Amino acid sequence: MNPDLMNADPHERARLMIALSGTEGLSSAKPWHAEESWLAAHLESCASCRAFAENSRETIRALRGIPITASGRLVFTTQMRVRQRAAELRRQQERFWVICVCCAAVTLSTAVSTALLWRGFAWLGHQARLSTPVWESGFVVFYLTPAVLVGILLLARGTFLADHNGSFQD
Amino acid sequence: MNATACYFVSAMADENTDIARGLRRRDPELLDRLIEQYQHRLLRYLVYLSGRRDLAEDFFQETWVHVLERGGQYDGRHEFSTWLFTIARHLVIDHLRSKRPTSLDSLADQDDLAPFDIPAAGQPSAFDATVQREQNEQISAGMQHIAAEYRETLLLRFQEGMSLEEIASVIGAPLGTVKSRIYRGLSALEPWVKGARL
Repeated sequence: MNPDLMNADPHERARLMIALSGTEGLSSAKPWHAEESWLAAHLESCASCRAFAENSRETIRALRGIPITASGRLVFTTQMRVRQRAAELRRQQERFWVICVCCAAVTLSTAVSTALLWRGFAWLGHQARLSTPVWESGFVVFYLTPAVLVGILLLARGTFLADHNGSFQD
Repeated sequence: MNATACYFVSAMADENTDIARGLRRRDPELLDRLIEQYQHRLLRYLVYLSGRRDLAEDFFQETWVHVLERGGQYDGRHEFSTWLFTIARHLVIDHLRSKRPTSLDSLADQDDLAPFDIPAAGQPSAFDATVQREQNEQISAGMQHIAAEYRETLLLRFQEGMSLEEIASVIGAPLGTVKSRIYRGLSALEPWVKGARL
């Protein structure tokens, strides 16, 4: 017997069986036949459960008969909107790839140019007879100055150069 | 399982895999086809869930945009419709949460809402069609008044023909809860069915 129905009172058990009848919620094959026989016997003797069975049948039939359909305009609008969004996503993905390629190129050029600059500074330091810590410090200053300047500018734009709305002044 | 059943199960699994592959590619042709294929089922679900046709149409569009954006998450191991309805359901719930801290149940409390639009029956002169239409209107009105969780379960079971397991997956509830909601939903609709008979 279905465990859901084991402990229910007879009316509740019958109504639950009616509600689920025809679904796979009840056990299959033999046990279901036994339950079906029990239900048939119960419906013979219980008018309220019989009425519930009749009401349920009508409800299910009515539910299946209520027509709610999508209009052609809605389908067309949705298809257009989805296509538009798909195009946007494609463009975003393309931009993302461009950014990825740029990042890779910048990383590569940084690796190459750093090595070259280091050698250049070493040669200049040697030519100018500077001690190693001096030309190394010069290299660090030269290397970091652009990034520091850009950082300061960006910070400034985010604070005192910005108006009250947070947008930037012309 | 017999050979015919095996064939259908295998064909459905293949179809789901094709859909999953197409969604990962964001294939516009596939999406157009899916929108057409599921248009009525999805809209009906959203109308019942939200209780309003105009809102349901907005959700309909949003659902498909979500399907496009999150297509990569569909693995093809489950029915596409189950995944689709889950997305639609989450959209409606998110919308309700953003409006006010509430649950799906609150949709059932909107007493001022009119019953769902029922188009005119095909043959207005036929007595049976009129009676049928009136009964549908009564039950439709009843659906508007019962708790949204019951309404949703009844719709998925009896209109969409989903299995109990599929419903459990869509609504994220145990199987026992699904069974109980079907039973309680039918019980809650009883007064309207009786009213339709009078």
